[in-house]
Amino acid sequence: MPQPVQPRSRVRAHAPAAAVSGDRRGEVTGEAAARGFRYTATGIGKAFSGAPVLRDVSLILEPGEIHTLLGENGAGKSTLLKILAGVYQPDSGELVLGDERLPVLTPRTAQQRGIYLVPQEPTLMRHLSVVENLFLGILPRGRLPFSVGWREMRRAAAGYLERVGLNVEAETPAEALSIAQAQLLECARALAHRCDVLFFDEPTSPLTDHEADVLFETIRALREQRYTLAFISHRLDEVLEISDRITVLRDGALVATQERASADRAGMVRAMVGRELAAAQPRPRRMPTGPAVLRVTGLTLEPHFANVDLEVRSGEVVGLAGLVGSGRTEIAEAIFGVRKPTAGRVVLDGKQFDRRSPRACIDAGLVYLSEDRGRHGIFAEVDLARNVTSGILPRLPRRAGLLQIGAEHGLAAEAVRRTNVRAASLASRIKTLSGGNQQRALLARWLLADPKVAILDEPTRGVDIGAKAEIYEIVAGLAAAGLATIVISSEIEELTQLCDRVFVAYEGRIVGRLSGAEITAGRLGSLVVGAEVR
Amino acid sequence: MTLGSSHRLAAIFRSRGGRGSSLDRGWVLALAAILVAEILYFSLTVQGFFAGGSGLLSLTEQFLDIGTLALGLSFVIFAGEIDLSVGAIASLTGIVMAELWKAGLEIWLAVAAAIAISALIGAVNGLIIALFRTNSLLVTLATQFIITSTATALGGGSPPFGFPQSLLSYAGTGTLGPVPAQLIVFAVLAVVVVVIVDRSRFGRALVLAGYNRDAARYTGIDVSRTVVGAFVLSGFFAGIAGIMISAFYNAARDDIGLSLLLPAVTVVVLGGVDIFGGRGRVAGVVVATFVLGFVTEGLLVGGHGSLTATMVTGIVLLLCLVLKLQIDRHEGVSLGAELRRRLGDLFPSSVARSER
Amino acid sequence: MPLVPVTEPRVRLDGAPLRAAPLRRFLLRREILLVLAMVAVALASGLHESAFLTRSNLSFVAADAAATAVLAVGQTIVLLTRGIDLSVAPILGLSAVVVGFLGQNHNLPLGIGVVVSLAVGLGLGVGNGFLIAVTGLPPIISTLGTLSVYGGLQFVVCNAWSPHTVVNIPNSYVNFGNDNAFNGLAWLVVIAAAITAVVAVVLRHTRFGRSLYAIGDDAEAAYRAGIRVRLVLFCAYAACGLLAGFAGLIYLVHTGSADSTTGTDTSVNLISIAAALIGGTTLTGGKGGVVGSALGAVFLSLALTAMVFAGIDPIWEPAGVGALILLAVVSDRRRGGTGSGALTRSAGGAA
Repeated sequence: MPQPVQPRSRVRAHAPAAAVSGDRRGEVTGEAAARGFRYTATGIGKAFSGAPVLRDVSLILEPGEIHTLLGENGAGKSTLLKILAGVYQPDSGELVLGDERLPVLTPRTAQQRGIYLVPQEPTLMRHLSVVENLFLGILPRGRLPFSVGWREMRRAAAGYLERVGLNVEAETPAEALSIAQAQLLECARALAHRCDVLFFDEPTSPLTDHEADVLFETIRALREQRYTLAFISHRLDEVLEISDRITVLRDGALVATQERASADRAGMVRAMVGRELAAAQPRPRRMPTGPAVLRVTGLTLEPHFANVDLEVRSGEVVGLAGLVGSGRTEIAEAIFGVRKPTAGRVVLDGKQFDRRSPRACIDAGLVYLSEDRGRHGIFAEVDLARNVTSGILPRLPRRAGLLQIGAEHGLAAEAVRRTNVRAASLASRIKTLSGGNQQRALLARWLLADPKVAILDEPTRGVDIGAKAEIYEIVAGLAAAGLATIVISSEIEELTQLCDRVFVAYEGRIVGRLSGAEITAGRLGSLVVGAEVR
Repeated sequence: MTLGSSHRLAAIFRSRGGRGSSLDRGWVLALAAILVAEILYFSLTVQGFFAGGSGLLSLTEQFLDIGTLALGLSFVIFAGEIDLSVGAIASLTGIVMAELWKAGLEIWLAVAAAIAISALIGAVNGLIIALFRTNSLLVTLATQFIITSTATALGGGSPPFGFPQSLLSYAGTGTLGPVPAQLIVFAVLAVVVVVIVDRSRFGRALVLAGYNRDAARYTGIDVSRTVVGAFVLSGFFAGIAGIMISAFYNAARDDIGLSLLLPAVTVVVLGGVDIFGGRGRVAGVVVATFVLGFVTEGLLVGGHGSLTATMVTGIVLLLCLVLKLQIDRHEGVSLGAELRRRLGDLFPSSVARSER
Repeated sequence: MPLVPVTEPRVRLDGAPLRAAPLRRFLLRREILLVLAMVAVALASGLHESAFLTRSNLSFVAADAAATAVLAVGQTIVLLTRGIDLSVAPILGLSAVVVGFLGQNHNLPLGIGVVVSLAVGLGLGVGNGFLIAVTGLPPIISTLGTLSVYGGLQFVVCNAWSPHTVVNIPNSYVNFGNDNAFNGLAWLVVIAAAITAVVAVVLRHTRFGRSLYAIGDDAEAAYRAGIRVRLVLFCAYAACGLLAGFAGLIYLVHTGSADSTTGTDTSVNLISIAAALIGGTTLTGGKGGVVGSALGAVFLSLALTAMVFAGIDPIWEPAGVGALILLAVVSDRRRGGTGSGALTRSAGGAA
C-alpha cells in the first residue's frame, strides 16, 4: 500500500549507514527494497515557444513494473519523463505520487521526494571518486563534527555498487568510468539517495549489447524490489525484452498503453509512425539525373561513423534519417570541415575536396545549417542583419577596404525577405525572434552564400507548425532552383514529405537507401531503429 | 534584385548606428553626461583644476597613455579574452626604443622598431593562447612578468633619457595650438579602432567570435587567426602607449607597467565593453578614458595621493561591474544571469529544447 | 543478486587509458614528481656551487618559501572552485603593515599580532567573498578590483602611521622569524607545514572541503545535489584571505620590514598561482591539492635560489616564475587543466 511521502531532510545523511547493516550479508533485505509508490500523471500538457510537445497525456506508473515509453523523435517521450522528474514544469495537468498531489517540482525537490532521472548523458563529477559521486550532497557524517565519514561511506558504497553490478574500486575517479559504468553509477546514486522512482532516458543508446544486458539485469532486480521504473528506448527488441508495460506516444499524444504480453513489433511500429499524413501535400518527388554535386565515399570517424557513402545531385533533396546518436550530425560536421575524418573522400562539383574547413566549404558552395541553433547557429545578442551576413564576411560589399553597412543591410534585407523572416527590424537582436524566425534567418544566412549544396540539420527543430510549412516551401523552392540539399531529420514525416531519396543511418553506418516510392513511414520507421540490421 | 531595389528595402529596415542595442548607446550617453558633470564639479571645487580650455586639454596628457592602452586592450576583450601584459609591453617598448636610440639609431626608426617588437610580443601571446588553447589570463599573467623583467634588465637601473625634440613635440608634450600632440594621436588612434571594429572584416569576425566562439567557427570565421590578430593589435597599441609615456616624461620608464594595467582594464569595462566578449562600443572606451582620467586628475590635483586614485579606480571598476550586472539582469541578458543561475535561482528553462 | 562483471569499457568517458598499476600511479603523482624535481635541481645546483647544499642555505630556502606556501594554500582553496584571487598580494601586504606598525610603534605582543593578522586577512577575504558569492561578480575582475582597493588601503594605512614604513619590529617578532623549532628546522617552516596539513585534512575529510571540489567540477550539478554553493564560495574566499593574512605575518617576521608596496612589488600573486599550478591544481577547478601547492612553493623558492646561485640577476626572478608557469601550462594540456577556466561565461562546466 503506497505510503505518503515523508519530506526529506538533511538528517537522512545517517540513512546509508542504517542500510549498511542490512546489506552486510550481501543480500537483498527488506530495508533495501523501495516503498512501492504509484506515480500518476494526468492531463499533462507542455509547449515550447508556442509549439506543443505534449498534449493531454495521462499515464500510471506502477511499482514493481518496468514501463517503457516508445515513440519517434519528437513524440514527447523525453519531455514527459523530464516533467515527471521535475526538470521541466508542465503547462497543465497534475502529478500524484502515492497519495500525495505533487507541487511544482524542481530536480532537487523531485530527488528529495525520491524521484531520480538517469539522464541520457551521465552527469557525474568527473574528478571526484565513485564514492563521492554516489553520495554527492548527502555525505555521511563522520565521528568528528564537520568531518566526512569515509569508512561508512565506503561500506555503504560497496553495498550499493554491488546491487547494481558495478565492479569498480570505490576510489576510482568518475572520469575513468566507461559510459556503461557511469550509468550504473547513476543507478547506484538513485539507490543511495533512497529514491523509489527511477527513470531512464534512453540509457542503452551508447551501450554495447553486453553492457545493455548488464543494465537490464540491474533494472530487473530493481523491479523485484518494488521500485517504480520507467524507461525510454527506441530499440524495439530491447523494449520487447524488458518491458512489462509499453506506452506509445506520437506527436505529443498518448496513442496506446499495452501490457507486454499483448504487444508485438508490427503493432508497435504502426502505433509509433502510422498516422494520417497532415493535409500538406508531399513535395512531388523528382529523380534528377546528372552527376552528383556532392559525393562522399568511405567517410570514417570512429567511434561516430564508418564507411559512409552518399551523394546528392543538383535539384535533389536527399534525406539522412536516423535516431539521435546515429552519427548523422557528426557526418555532416565531417563533411563541413568542423571535424576531421580519419578516412574517406569528398568530391564537390567533380573536384576532390580534402582540406576542408568551414570557410573553405562555404567559399566552395557547401553550407551547413547546424543542429544546435543556440550554440552553433545564432549569435544571440547580435542584431538580425549581422547574423544574416556573418556567413559571407569575405564577400561583404566593401569600398576602400571598409564595409559598406548600407549595402550590407540591403543584402540582409533581401535575404530576409526571401525567407520571410518576421522581425521588428534588421536591428533587432536575433534572440528576440521566435524559433521559427530564427531558423529562417539562418536559412537566409546560408542563402546569401549562394550555395550549391546545403546540409540542413534538423531544420524544423523547435519551430512552430506555420514556420515548418514555410521552411518546407523554401526548401522545395531552392531545390527547384537547382540547390542540392541534404536534410538531416529525426522526424519521419518530414522526410517523407520533403525527400526524393533517403539514406538511413544506424549506429554510424548507412543501413538503408530508399528512393521515390520506397520512402514510406513504415519502412523508415523500421530502418531507423535498426530493425532490418542483423 | 537590383542594388537599387535592395537599397530601398534596406531603407525600410535600416537603423542608424549599426552596432549594438539601445542599451549600449545609452551607456555611452550616460558616460558623456557624467564626463560633463565631473568636469564641472572638479572645476568648481578643486583649486587649480580648471585652467581654461587649454588647461583642460593639457590635463588630458596625463591619461591618454591609459586610453591608448585601453583602445588596444578592447580588441582582446571584444574577442572574449584578456591581456594582462599590456602595461608591461608599454614599459618594455619605451626602454627598447630608448636603448636603440642610445645605440645610435635615428629616433623615429627606433620608435618604429620598438613598436614592431611590441606587436611581435603580442603575436607571441596570441600564438601561445591560440595554439595551445590555453587560458589567456594565465598566459598573459606569466608573460607580463617575463616582459617586466626584461624591461628592468634592459633598463639597467637608469634608463636612458633626454630624447630629441622631434619625439617630444610629436609624441610627448608638444602641442598644436592649444591641443596637445598626444590628444591628436589618441584621436587618430580612436578613429582607427572604430573603423577596424565597426567597418572591417577582421573587426566583425572579432566581435562575432566574442559573442559566440562556436557559432563563429561554424560561420567560417578563423577564430585562431582572429584571436592572434587581436593580441597583435593589443601589443601594437601598448607599444604606442609606451612611446607616448617615454616622450612625455622624456625618459624611458621600466617601473610603470603594473600600474597601467588596472586603469586600462577599468576604462574598458567602464566604457561598456562586456568582459566576456562581443558587446560594447569603442566610443564608450573613448569617453570612459576621459571620465576616469579626469576623475583621477581631479583627485591628484586636489591633493590626494596616487594610490588613493588607484583605490578609487578599483572601486569604479567594481561598481561598474555590479551596475552592469543589475542592468543586464533586468534586460534578461545572461551576463550575470548565468552566474546567478548557478548560484541561486533555478527557474525552468523555457528555451525550445530539442526533443529526443 | 549475482555480481555481473562489467566488460572492459568500450569508450572511456575522458578518452584516456585505463588506470595504470598502483605503483606507477603513485610515482606519477604530481607531488612525488615535484619532490624528485626538487632533488634534481638541488643536486644540479650543488654540483655547480657546493654552498647551495649547505644546511643553512636549504633552511633559508624553506623559510623563504613559508609565506609563499601559506599563500598558495589559500589560493588553492579558491582555485578548486574554479575561481581565483588576485588580491592576495595586498592582503598579505596590509596584514604585514598593520601588524608591523602595531609592533613597531605600539609594541604589540606577538600573540596578539597573530590574531590581528588573521583578522585583517579574514576581513579582506570576506570582502571578496561578498562580491563574488553574494553579488555574483566574476572572480577575476572582482579580485582585480579589490587588488587595487586593498592596495590603496595599504598605502593609506602606511601614511597614517609615522614613519611610513616598518623597519624596526620588536625582537620577539624577529626571533620568531628566525628561530628554529628543532633540528635546524625554522619555526616558520614547521608552522607552514602544519597549516598545510590542517587544510589538507579539511579538504579531504570535511563536507566543506569536498564541496569545493564538487563546485569546481560542476557548480550547477553541485547546486542541484543540494550543496549550498554560495555559502561555500563565500567561505572559500574568506579562508583564502585569512591565510593570506597569516602569510603577511610570516613575511613580516621573516624579512623584518614592510611598506606600502609590500606584496604587490614581489609578484606575490603570480607566485601563489604558479605554486598552485605547479603543484597540480588546475585553473578549471575540481582538481588539485594543498600539499602539491606547498611543495610547489618550495620548488619555486628552490628554483629561484638556484638561479641566484647560478649567477642570474635577481631581476629575472619574476621572469623565471613566468616561464615556469608557461611550461606548466603547455605541458598540462593533456591534463586538460588550463582551459579558459575563470574567464568563460559558463563557469560551471557542461551539465
